[in-house]
Amino acid sequence: MIKILTVGWANTLRLFRQRSNIFFVFVFPLLIILLLGVMFGGGFDALVAVSVEGEEGPLAASLVESLDALDDISVERCASVEAATDAVQRRRVTAGVLIPAGFDAGLLGGEAVEVGFLTRPGDQNGMLTLEAVRAVVAAAGTPIRAARFVAAEGVASFEAALPVAQLIASGEPSLTVTYATAGESVFEDFENLGTFDMGAGSQLVLFMFLTSLAGAADLILTRRLGVARRMLSTPTSTGVILMGEAAGRFGVAMVQGVYIMVGTLLIFGVNWGDPLGAAAVVILFALVGSGAAMLSGSIFRNEQQAGGLGVLLGIGLAAIGGAMVPIELFPSTMQTIARFTPHAWAIDAFAELVRRDGGLLDILPQLGVLAAFAAFFLVLATWRLHRVLTH
Amino acid sequence: MAALLIALKDLRQRLRDRSAYLWGIVAPLGLAAIFSLLFSDLATGAALDVRFAVSDQDRGAAARAFVEEGLLPLDAQGVFAVEEVASAAEARQKATAGDVDAAFVIPEGFSAAAEGNGTSAIEVVANVDSPIAGQVASAVAGQFVGEINAVGTSLGTYFTLVGRAPEPGEAEALVPEAMAVPAPLALAETTANSKELSADTFYSAGMAILFLFLTVQFGVLGLLEERQNGTMGRLLAAPISRRAIVVGKALTSFVLGVVSMAVLVVGTTLLLGASWGNSLGVAILVLAGVIAAMGIMFVVAAVARTPEQADNVQSIIAFVLAMLGGSFFPIAQAGGFIAKLSLMTPHAWFLRGLGDLAAGGGAGAVFPAALYVALFGLVTGGLAMFRVGKVLTP
Repeated sequence: MIKILTVGWANTLRLFRQRSNIFFVFVFPLLIILLLGVMFGGGFDALVAVSVEGEEGPLAASLVESLDALDDISVERCASVEAATDAVQRRRVTAGVLIPAGFDAGLLGGEAVEVGFLTRPGDQNGMLTLEAVRAVVAAAGTPIRAARFVAAEGVASFEAALPVAQLIASGEPSLTVTYATAGESVFEDFENLGTFDMGAGSQLVLFMFLTSLAGAADLILTRRLGVARRMLSTPTSTGVILMGEAAGRFGVAMVQGVYIMVGTLLIFGVNWGDPLGAAAVVILFALVGSGAAMLSGSIFRNEQQAGGLGVLLGIGLAAIGGAMVPIELFPSTMQTIARFTPHAWAIDAFAELVRRDGGLLDILPQLGVLAAFAAFFLVLATWRLHRVLTH
Repeated sequence: MAALLIALKDLRQRLRDRSAYLWGIVAPLGLAAIFSLLFSDLATGAALDVRFAVSDQDRGAAARAFVEEGLLPLDAQGVFAVEEVASAAEARQKATAGDVDAAFVIPEGFSAAAEGNGTSAIEVVANVDSPIAGQVASAVAGQFVGEINAVGTSLGTYFTLVGRAPEPGEAEALVPEAMAVPAPLALAETTANSKELSADTFYSAGMAILFLFLTVQFGVLGLLEERQNGTMGRLLAAPISRRAIVVGKALTSFVLGVVSMAVLVVGTTLLLGASWGNSLGVAILVLAGVIAAMGIMFVVAAVARTPEQADNVQSIIAFVLAMLGGSFFPIAQAGGFIAKLSLMTPHAWFLRGLGDLAAGGGAGAVFPAALYVALFGLVTGGLAMFRVGKVLTP
């Protein structure tokens, strides 16, 4: 038993001897969680680039203000038409609103003024934004139109009529639109989450698996340098060596998992739900990761091969398992395929714990599947390693 | 000549141990395939298919005008689909169940209110998961009532300034005149050529440029490996110039980089439906990208002590630059400081250059971007040359 732990401990430490691993295990995951939190934590507003040519008069300013006041649209000001166009073209923003030079003067001087609206061709979000902007622009024209009408009827001058029209237009209109939402949201679960909560569970799973696979390189080195054969020459059984190697892989996965969990809890205040349940998920997923690492370490011939495939499998399986985009948004076939990755089950368990306030008992099915994954990988890897190490 | 021999020997060796295939082709192609399979529908928003229901409880002139002149033309244009349902309850139920994205209910008395008798409101009920469609529904209804209210404002201003209440029939007579005043503000819609890469192209290009920075290490790292294996001393003792050794290793990196990128461009085009744009432009960007990757790699080789160390540092740099450069997700959309930081990476400019091609630009369109990418490599590589002599020791 002590031998197993010694071999396991030595193998865990080996990962951190390599200083770049310290970066990939301790710095990179938090960096990604931070960036994703900053990018997607703010909600799903449509961004509209607005450029005002020439001097910005009060009428232009009030148009921009009413655009910004719309619920699902936020305005980003651009210095020039070119900058706004470029932002639209590169899809940094959904649409561009171009207010021409002489906007105020034109409106006050009785001209028809055109506001430019810019989208990318075939972009439905752009067309949808157009309808919202059109309503705002029409409303901005209403008092001007009223004042022109009154002036044309000869009742008062345009200048005298405009303040009156503006006052009346700002009053309670006879026709309005009420807006309400209904139904149960598929996404409701996500909306109550903190900025970082949604990403953290997925990233935990992604990085635990990725780091485990990276650790497979050490196992290959053990084989290549004949460390295992030398250990066999000492009074140590194959079983103990295998258990020690597995303990090492498990230690690596646990270090990664516990670090992300505690780190995000302390730095970003991420809610991980029931501690007992969360611990169970991390432990079982660490077993899955160590099984996969043992398997990879027993199959590949050199570290570069294991590394290349490790990155491919580590990121690829995480993507398929819903660690990058929630599984709920996948096409239905892909949702089924996702169920064949351990990631999907672990993320599902976290969702149960965090979003639906579940406890250890609520996630027993998910834990069972993870245990099955772990057992499958470990048995296969042990069988394979046993042959590779002893022959 | 000696450089060529060194490069050929290195290339043969790299191809034999298969790691170059894995890092240069299999991994990026595999990830691009997974990403585009999973996420391309999401990114293009092809799933967005807006449906509305409308229930007209009023059946007056203004209410019919809303359905027939406000909604149906937009249905015909394909902006959204509209179905008319009999009861208000049915319309609301459809929105609640998510059968439609939003429902309009026009209450009784709407047309009367439009003529100045009382107030009324079009009720928009949106499904919770269709906030954008709901916003559009309320914008469409808002435009329609806005037009009627505008006439109301005109008449209100008129009678306020005249200073008396309208006589019977007087307001009605003024309505056509008020409506005849053209709207002073109009929207002129234009579309701009998209410079955004299609989802398939984005994932293909993002993964290609990420792994390029890892693939090039198989050449330049050879400098450190020769030293570690003790073969550097023999190379130095041979009658070949020191420059030939560096050039030979650089050539290996260059060939691996260019070939793997070429395979990826062709492979993702054929297998994933990526469209990279003008071939000459892509070739220029790829060359610039290889130079940038080699530049960084030389810096790392010049600073690192062992090949393992260099390998590790290069992976860190490759992943951080790729993440900041938007290889994984379109980070520039975050705006502000992060967007500026992003534009310091060659990755961001490589993708921007491809964006310029996607907008239909010819080979010339890539120049500002390609120039930055290449310059990045030349500057970093140039700096490394001051120290590269250190590596050329037994």
